[in-house]
Amino acid sequence: MSSESEPLLRVENLKTQFFTEAGTVRAVDGISFDVHEGEIVGLVGESGAGKSVASMSLLRLVESPGEIVGGEITYKGETIFGLEEGPDGELQEREDMLSNQEMRDRIRGNEIAVIFQDPMESLNPVFTVGGQLREFIELNRDLSSEQARQEAVEMLREVGIPDPEQRYDEYPHQFSGGMRQRVLIAMALACEPSLIIADEPTTALDVTVEGQIIDLVDDLQEKYGTSFIWVTHDMGVVAEICDRVNVMYLGEIVEQSPVDELFYDTKHPYTEALLDSIPRPDKTVGELDPIEGVMPEAISPPSGCRFHPRCPDAREVCQRVHPENKQVDTAEGVPHRAACVKHDAFDVGYDESVPLAKSPQVTADSSANTETSVTDPERGTAGSSGGEGSE
Amino acid sequence: MEVRAVSDTVQDPSRGQSEDDDLLGSEMSGEEIAHGDALLEVDGLKKYFDQDSGLLSGVSFDPDSFPPVSVGQDHVKAVDDVNFEIRRGETLGLVGESGCGKSTLGRTILRLLEPTDGSIYFKGEDLADLSGEQLRQKRSEIQMIFQDPQSSLDPRMKIGQIIEEPMRAHGMLDDEGREARAKELLEKVGLDPHHYNRHPHAFSGGQRQRVNLARALSVNPDFVVCDEPVSALDVSIQAQVLNTMEELQEEFGLTYLFIAHDLSVIRHISDRVAVMYLGNVVELAEKEELFENPQHPYTEALLDSIPVPDPRESDARGVLEGEVPSPVNPPSGCRFRTRCPRLIAPDEYEWTDEEWYHTRAFMRAVKRRTFEPMAAAEIEAEFFGGDLPRGDPGEIVQRAIELVASDRSAGDGESGGESDAEVIGDPNVDWERATDLLLESFAERSICAQERPAYEIESEHGTETHFAACHLHR
Repeated sequence: MSSESEPLLRVENLKTQFFTEAGTVRAVDGISFDVHEGEIVGLVGESGAGKSVASMSLLRLVESPGEIVGGEITYKGETIFGLEEGPDGELQEREDMLSNQEMRDRIRGNEIAVIFQDPMESLNPVFTVGGQLREFIELNRDLSSEQARQEAVEMLREVGIPDPEQRYDEYPHQFSGGMRQRVLIAMALACEPSLIIADEPTTALDVTVEGQIIDLVDDLQEKYGTSFIWVTHDMGVVAEICDRVNVMYLGEIVEQSPVDELFYDTKHPYTEALLDSIPRPDKTVGELDPIEGVMPEAISPPSGCRFHPRCPDAREVCQRVHPENKQVDTAEGVPHRAACVKHDAFDVGYDESVPLAKSPQVTADSSANTETSVTDPERGTAGSSGGEGSE
Repeated sequence: MEVRAVSDTVQDPSRGQSEDDDLLGSEMSGEEIAHGDALLEVDGLKKYFDQDSGLLSGVSFDPDSFPPVSVGQDHVKAVDDVNFEIRRGETLGLVGESGCGKSTLGRTILRLLEPTDGSIYFKGEDLADLSGEQLRQKRSEIQMIFQDPQSSLDPRMKIGQIIEEPMRAHGMLDDEGREARAKELLEKVGLDPHHYNRHPHAFSGGQRQRVNLARALSVNPDFVVCDEPVSALDVSIQAQVLNTMEELQEEFGLTYLFIAHDLSVIRHISDRVAVMYLGNVVELAEKEELFENPQHPYTEALLDSIPVPDPRESDARGVLEGEVPSPVNPPSGCRFRTRCPRLIAPDEYEWTDEEWYHTRAFMRAVKRRTFEPMAAAEIEAEFFGGDLPRGDPGEIVQRAIELVASDRSAGDGESGGESDAEVIGDPNVDWERATDLLLESFAERSICAQERPAYEIESEHGTETHFAACHLHR
């Protein structure tokens, strides 16, 4: 996990945008992070933060109207995505970038596997669970049908499905949610990939089942040394399972640090507010301290720091200066980064700047209502008494 | 407070005299229940569902029995004999995993579902006995908030109309009064009254849930059933809505039944908490007591398995094994016993704790078939450290091991016992017989399987009684 060695996956300044009729949605806007061998890296944020788009971009699985428009993704020294300037000055895909064929044959499944949130939608309801797993193994590992079948039964047993020979011939609807998620984990592990992207894998599950799955992942990770990118919104799961964490807000990574520092030496006001707003299972909290307002649309992000309209520490300078995700501290040799100008690493005059008056934000009261323009007469008055933002 | 003023001005002639005061907001009139007294009492409530429907439903065919065709419905026992009370002004949290019957219970209390048996006393009147117009009238006092803020609002109605609809249904106020009250309520729940003419799609999830709140409050209910009201919302929005709900409760003197699967949310909002498992309430206590001093193994397991947002809190979690049994044919006695890590040893044998511990683990491993067939000696080593329990239990375990051992020979059947004759020669491992043998000899004889537990114990935190349905407290 040391930062000197070459990381398994390196993402630099990745940008993914969706070109919609209403405008360009900058779902992922210049994020950089890396994943080392044997590490579980968290990607945390509320819905709409861009965490799922970011993780799908890593596999080049972004669908139209979405497109990766910039940045570089390197996996084990190979370029998954990279751009360069062509002879005509236009950006074009680099020569050494893996072709779609190579992505399909070598990377997806074999090197990088995915576990999705909804296990029912990821399994085909008209084929048996075992059949689907067998086919996957057969295709990716060049085994005969019979060998693949044995391997599939073995994998089912490995992930804790009782009586795997019997259940091999059952259909997905005969499995419970937790069991289906186990099947998906079996499928992800079947080709012994080096990296697994887990996109909210436990969100749809009950707590006791969630606990079982997290324990299972812990065990398997120890056994196979697989690295994980764990996408979630649940800070409890993050604390439980991650080694390092990236906190995303509106398409950007606002804080990046080892898990302990994230909770005990929080550097970004958004992370802090997020931690303050959750009810705790282990102690009784008198009054919750919610974050004001809602996350604005990625189609028209606020100027300067994107969190400033909701930030308790916002000052005038925050409206103007867009903070990069800079190193602000070091924790046991691992950099702790935060995108907040209040830290000394940023020399933009935060201390002298005037605190922002608590102005109700325009984006709060009609987040779903993009067609209502700012000139909407209702909107003018809306600001003064506010929607979500008025608390 | 202005809400009350508005409704004050208009008297509704269609309502009976005793109900006049209900219109006036949080203040309640003479016959009413004081703060802290039982507002709602659920007594022996049951809700069974028929498993299938249609002409031939309930007809089953079994060629081995006589007559081969039998008629009889299997019932899904979603809620089975539940008793509790909810006091005026409190929030009772109802928590459990999916499928435990918590939503069904909520809906049955509201009579959205017909109870199979039992009574629901609301202000002393049994809702289960009411029907037709009487029930409809009662509904103005009991309201509900649903989980999905999207589908619980009609997309073609403006939110003003949505909020006024219950008032119209109950003949409250005139048009103007309703509009004034709707706007008042919008403000109360933290929305802009000017949004009166907007459609639901123009609002975010958190705001829609606020519209739901306003609609529920429009008819001035005393009691609101909230079915997972914040679980579809992002954490930061969740906190906002929870805070609003608490403020409204205080202002209008509301009583909540708060159904959720998220223990953190339950801990935050509840005064008392009931834990449900497979149609039964297994534990009910004051919040602090329940979370700090849980007395039912299921509650303990539930609390243990929540990921705590604190990386330094890394206790080994006692993860619950297995899955929830089917509610069609739930286990006898304590319903949690098939997964309970503290299943009580049957009394007829002499056990040391360790012997019982090993035997229980082995019994469950056989039942769930979690291990590969292996030689008898290996099984003994794996589950019992080589030492089988002494006496009768040891013999039974021995027989079970022989049934599942991969090296079992035809001769084993004879040494094993009387009735094994027909198995002799069967080369396959006989999981089913081993399971039956172990369950019949041990699990079924435990007190947990024979009596339904219900104990009241003293609280360590607070003064309320602590109900725990677990024989460990016998």
